[in-house]
Amino acid sequence: MPKNLQGKVINLVLRKSSKIFLSVIKALFLRELNTRISIGKSGLFWTFFEPFFQIFIFISIRVAIVSNGSNSVTTFDYAIFMASGFIAFNMFKNILSGATGAFAANKALFNYKQVKPIDTIFGRLLLEVFLSSIIVLLFLFIGFLFGYNVEPQNIVMVFFAYVWILVFSFSIGLIVAIGNIFFVSIGKFVGMFSFALLIFSAVFFPINNIPPAVQEILLYNPLVHFMEMIHGYYIYELDDRFVDYQYMLYWTITPLFIGTWLYIKLEKRIISQ
Amino acid sequence: MIELKNVTKYFRTNQGKRYILQNVSLTLPDGNIGILGRNGTGKSTLMRMLGRIDFPNEGKITSPNSFSWPLGLGGGFVGNMTGKANVKFVCGLYGKSYEETKEIITLVQDFAELGNYFEMPIKTYSSGMKGRLSFGLSLSFDFDYMLIDETLSVGDARFKVKAKEALLKKIENCHILLVSHDMNTLRELCQSGLLVHEGELEYYENIDDAIERYKEINKS
Repeated sequence: MPKNLQGKVINLVLRKSSKIFLSVIKALFLRELNTRISIGKSGLFWTFFEPFFQIFIFISIRVAIVSNGSNSVTTFDYAIFMASGFIAFNMFKNILSGATGAFAANKALFNYKQVKPIDTIFGRLLLEVFLSSIIVLLFLFIGFLFGYNVEPQNIVMVFFAYVWILVFSFSIGLIVAIGNIFFVSIGKFVGMFSFALLIFSAVFFPINNIPPAVQEILLYNPLVHFMEMIHGYYIYELDDRFVDYQYMLYWTITPLFIGTWLYIKLEKRIISQ
Repeated sequence: MIELKNVTKYFRTNQGKRYILQNVSLTLPDGNIGILGRNGTGKSTLMRMLGRIDFPNEGKITSPNSFSWPLGLGGGFVGNMTGKANVKFVCGLYGKSYEETKEIITLVQDFAELGNYFEMPIKTYSSGMKGRLSFGLSLSFDFDYMLIDETLSVGDARFKVKAKEALLKKIENCHILLVSHDMNTLRELCQSGLLVHEGELEYYENIDDAIERYKEINKS
């Protein structure tokens, strides 16, 4: 065993890389959380309720439009339809925007040899998962209180869809994060783009209600498939007939490989940028 | 011991590549090493490369030793978080246990003398206080090599004396890589010298020889 100059066995050098990885991720996660909570006296409240209210307002508006509209006859609960999909979409959007700035915002942390750039993305991703889970629980609780039928048709598949969109978000986020280091325009572009995606990702409507010609175009968007999958397995009246699982898989694996490959190639350049 | 093998490092600028090291192979024996060179020759970059938080474009730098982050560096601090929370974060990065973390917090608290400020957000600190906190934090961790980049003077006169004493005590048990323009500091803290000059690296076993050579370069 190598010893340091005092003759003490160094646990620093010897620590396994997986252990280092885990402690770094944990520290970064707690740091991200602490950063948000410590913004002021009501920091703890807003950390959880800001994303909650954002989603809540969108859902309320959408539900209000549906109940006033005369032409749309719905057989299912729009509140549940919106909540189930929009939370996942929001998670995707936040992971993407978090990853975009992750390297630049944490540049000072690369002075600690332990911290690899990709860890900062994991830290932010974990925080987003944590917040999303809290939001899901809040919505389930509120839905239960007010007598909505919040029980999903197939809870395993809904959970699977959420995990899948998480992996998808990570792979896209990794590529954007790396791209953003070398071309700042990519980050700006993603910011604009993710807002437009909100409208074109079947978050507000089932794809079945759209004219077939438009359907065909929208189905090129992988997020539409994710939303349809979640809706299809959550709501009894809907199904996953439009979901192309192979297409989703391509959109997950290809960016994951490209992102990982780019990252391995460029990690040192990202650190010394 | 630090080994450099065919190390080349350059920065891309608008006027082409600016070389810091060009195909350097060298073995540095253990010891307190002072790094000298004129402004912009890449002393800090060299120090960071030796500490493996920066990387050469070609070649390899290897060492069995552990290296600290650059001493007194407060860049990683979050303004919203308290001094204590920031210290805890660094302990977390290095996977310290609950007891070790507690110990380090006490050490830093005693050393930095921040009083109530230790539990207040970093954004309320003056720059001197920030410097004291990060200096104390650096001293509370054990490494084989400490990286120091001209940040020996933090805080007021009284703290400077205290910091210097603490550092001298610290380097009884570890080595340093010191970047400095102050010849007296170099003479006091280092035994050997490393001179960066026009893409070359010159190692001197005696720091006085390195200083002589540095003065020679400066004259021409």
